[in-house]
Amino acid sequence: MAGLSGRQLRAMLRKDIVMELRTKEMIMSMGLYALLTMVVYFVALSQAGSSFDPRDIAAGLLWLAFIFTSMLGLNRSLVHEKDQGCLEALLLSPVDRPVIFFAKAGGNLIFLLAVELLTLPVFGFLFLQGEQMDASSLALLPLILLAGSVGISGVGTLLATMSVNTSGKDFVLAMLFIPLMYPLLLGAVIATGGAIVGGAEGVGVFWTGMGWVVGYDVIMLLASYGLYEFIVGA
Amino acid sequence: MSEVHDQKNALEVRGLTRAFGVRKALDGVDLDLSERAFLSVFGPNGAGKTTLIKVLTTLLNPTNGTAQVLGMDVVSDAVELRTHIGLISHNPLLYPDLTAEENLLFFADMYGVEQPEARVAELLEAVELDHRKLDLTRTFSRGMLQRLSIARALLHRPEVLFLDEPYSGLDPHAMDILDGLIAQIRGNHTFVMISHDLDKGLELCSHALILAKGRVVMFERREDIDDAAFRQTYRSTVGMGVS
Repeated sequence: MAGLSGRQLRAMLRKDIVMELRTKEMIMSMGLYALLTMVVYFVALSQAGSSFDPRDIAAGLLWLAFIFTSMLGLNRSLVHEKDQGCLEALLLSPVDRPVIFFAKAGGNLIFLLAVELLTLPVFGFLFLQGEQMDASSLALLPLILLAGSVGISGVGTLLATMSVNTSGKDFVLAMLFIPLMYPLLLGAVIATGGAIVGGAEGVGVFWTGMGWVVGYDVIMLLASYGLYEFIVGA
Repeated sequence: MSEVHDQKNALEVRGLTRAFGVRKALDGVDLDLSERAFLSVFGPNGAGKTTLIKVLTTLLNPTNGTAQVLGMDVVSDAVELRTHIGLISHNPLLYPDLTAEENLLFFADMYGVEQPEARVAELLEAVELDHRKLDLTRTFSRGMLQRLSIARALLHRPEVLFLDEPYSGLDPHAMDILDGLIAQIRGNHTFVMISHDLDKGLELCSHALILAKGRVVMFERREDIDDAAFRQTYRSTVGMGVS
């Protein structure tokens, strides 16, 4: 059964990636939304005085953009399955429900990371150009991006599954997702801020935030794993 | 597993009830169906036909009562049971942004089908879609989708096939193909088919069931059915409305 679960997981991931490469619906909508958010930030902060240091708020801006952007993709990932009745076909197959959870969360993670990779250079160009940066601490950024995105994708996939059968699924997802993201957002902003500020103190702050996010990921992924069968069945 | 397959009945349903809130879509359904039988299920809209199929295919849990398919309980043996059943619905349950071949290979992986490429090629030929295997299914007509849906349902060689209005929207050629496929596998499969077409349902079935308001109104073997009386009973249930 473990071998079959692995085959099923790979098949679902491959299917989601092939369909996304073909339609580019999620990447396009999430990517454009993230880029537009950057432009809005830039315009909104363009009149800030010369004493304003964008590094003070850069981490918060970045993670807010990622959280809101991720909601677009999370909704679409399940709506695709639901609209064509394919969720029913998946549930008819001899697949353990947590395998569906890990496959959908894995797909969402890949697409979110792709959008983050597209967004980061634009963000750096608009907000951090010419700022003093510590290259060694910036090298820690991929770690927090990955850890934060794992939490967003895992919790988001669970909540998107819960909301997909509701009439106001976008609203329901947002109402559930944003409050649950608060602890992760806090940890991710602390860690990213530490990496941007740099130095020994910044690196210390980074690891504090990183520990927070990893702890959140472990707790929420275990809870999602345990709850997914019940939620799909309901 | 051998113990499971030694069971004589394909379906054993006892006091099956499924409620949605206060409304009972199924209300104390009892049913026995032997292996290799063909059951046609009739009834007005909202009678509980689709709910019955969803419970028997493990998509919905019963609120009360029990249901066994091939001796396996639809709740406690659900994962194992899913490897033995297939569903052909009026909804094709296929991904429109995958090709016909990709769709079938995906579901072959989901069911752990051995030598998936050969099995997929065999079924694409059987439903006369091998020439369109590389086309996205969003470009398919309703009949072609339904033919591909039949191939999807047969991929893992299920022993019990559930058909939810499978002829709905099919052109005559697609109906002939479906008839041919059913005739080919009729001898060693059990069928449960929902239909609003009395003629078709009675033509195919070995047993017929009329549901209304979630309850069994009539359940008879085909040879015991007086067609005129059956049609009269069916017509009277259509006016009974939903449960």
